[in-house]
Amino acid sequence: MRRDAELYSLILLLGVLAVAPLFSTQYTVRLLTVGLLYGLAAVGFNLLYGYTGLLSFGHAMFWSAGAYGLSIGLVRLGLDPLQSIGLAFLLTLVVALATGYLSLRHTEIYFAMLTLAFAQLIYALIIKLRDITGGDEGIYGIPRPMGLGEYYYLVLAIVALLVLLAWWIVRTPLGLGFQAVRDNSSRAASVGLDVSRVRLVSYVISALYLSVAGMLYAPLNRAITPDIAFWTFSAIIVIMTIIGGVRRVAGAFIGGLIFIFININAMRFTEFWQLILGVILAILVYLAPEGVSGIVEKVVRRVKG
Amino acid sequence: MDINLIVVQTFNALFYASILFLISSGLSLIYGIMRILNLSHGALYMVGAYVTYTVVILWLGLDWFSMVLGYVASILVVGALGILVERILLKPLYGKSHDLQLLLTFALILILDDMVKMIWGPEYRAFPRLPGFSIPVGEFQVPIYFVFTLLLGFSVAIVLHLFFTRTTVGKMIRAMTYSPEVASALGVNTDRLFALSFGLGAALAGLAGGVAVPLYTASPGMGTEIIVLSFAVIVIGGMGSIKGALVGSLIVGFSRVFMVMLFPVMEIALIYIIMALILLVKPTGLFGMEMRERR
Repeated sequence: MRRDAELYSLILLLGVLAVAPLFSTQYTVRLLTVGLLYGLAAVGFNLLYGYTGLLSFGHAMFWSAGAYGLSIGLVRLGLDPLQSIGLAFLLTLVVALATGYLSLRHTEIYFAMLTLAFAQLIYALIIKLRDITGGDEGIYGIPRPMGLGEYYYLVLAIVALLVLLAWWIVRTPLGLGFQAVRDNSSRAASVGLDVSRVRLVSYVISALYLSVAGMLYAPLNRAITPDIAFWTFSAIIVIMTIIGGVRRVAGAFIGGLIFIFININAMRFTEFWQLILGVILAILVYLAPEGVSGIVEKVVRRVKG
Repeated sequence: MDINLIVVQTFNALFYASILFLISSGLSLIYGIMRILNLSHGALYMVGAYVTYTVVILWLGLDWFSMVLGYVASILVVGALGILVERILLKPLYGKSHDLQLLLTFALILILDDMVKMIWGPEYRAFPRLPGFSIPVGEFQVPIYFVFTLLLGFSVAIVLHLFFTRTTVGKMIRAMTYSPEVASALGVNTDRLFALSFGLGAALAGLAGGVAVPLYTASPGMGTEIIVLSFAVIVIGGMGSIKGALVGSLIVGFSRVFMVMLFPVMEIALIYIIMALILLVKPTGLFGMEMRERR
């Protein structure tokens, strides 16, 4: 597969997504928007996981920082949209720098457990600080500046930009640094890379991707609940990235879309959609160990001979 | 503070710690030996809860004897389920990327949650109070069921301790926790021990569900909260250590129950603060040893 084939497939995919609403109901457009945001989240998560080799089990905290930051600004504090976005970014940066600085003292399972602990700590605070976060009930009445159809294109534009940015980042010296640290951190250090700084930069960029996804998610539903901060959502972020394929930016993006696609169809088919989703995920473990993008690559390679 | 309340809450904390210990010891065992983060461990606990519920409430009737039979059924059913999962689903993944094990154990949560919904329905299943659940002594109510649970938890801890220190199989399992290569070179059949360990871990989760169900109503998805607290337990105590699971359970149980009284905002938060502090100061936990991923 040629090197820029990934770029072409991304552009093709985004093109398909641009015309998809023409053939969809209102309900499907809403789910497609969620699919885009899941895809964006997976791409951001994969910068840290696939490219830098760090498995975070707490990325729900950054999606939540974005979603809650924006909603608290708009609904609780009565700020205007720009100020609310600023608040959400500020909150995300504080959370990302603090948890990143601490969690990155370790790697592997200890890093995963630290991120899990911090994310659950934030979940616990969201549940208990009712005056600010609404506790179990979350925050309602988040304004959406436009109709669902237009909002889809706003989301698509931002997602397209950020996904292509990720494609570019992993090809810059910074992104190559991520991969050097992933493959062999002591060798990376010996050629002069500041390993802990590279990891922190990757962590913060990754967090910002999740935060943007969360910020775009809150007005879509006009309401948020603490589920988005619970560990199961962190797990879903990991899972959809893996089913797409962790080796490429496009793989992770497809993973988010596939996850929603399976959900939509399983829900239409039966009330036991989780069972269907679980069975499909389990089958993918054996059929597509490199993710769905891995299969696509294999097929393309075979066709080309 | 009222002394009576402190006594009651101490019982609550000990009961909660016993349940946590039963779940976490299995989780810790599986991680220690197989390096698998079994995300579905909470779902196995849920299945255990429903099995005991079925045996006691739907089949035999509410008394202590059927409770014990319910536990036995939970241990057998969930233990067998664990062995099946290990032999059929996990075995083909050994030596491959850890991603796949995460994916598979997460898929199992979705599958088991919905299967429970199919079999028992989506609604909560209340468990009427067991006769002799608590007995009045003077002006106090002594919660017999809590005392019983505590004794059960301690007995399991002692049995596990003897199993790992006195029996050949137990020693082999411990040897594998330290170094599977060396254990294997010494002639230990690692394949069979993996199945045994996963089955044993699952059986402990099943028992935990059976013990918990009279207090914590059975419902689909009841495993998702307790599993993450069990992660906190094994991280605090040290992954792979039974002693660690015991001490970790007591820390988590007491900090939760007493924070509800003293400072409710911190009810759950304190647990994760302790978890993070332990990881930062002593990542191997109070009683654990270093766990490196095997590739």
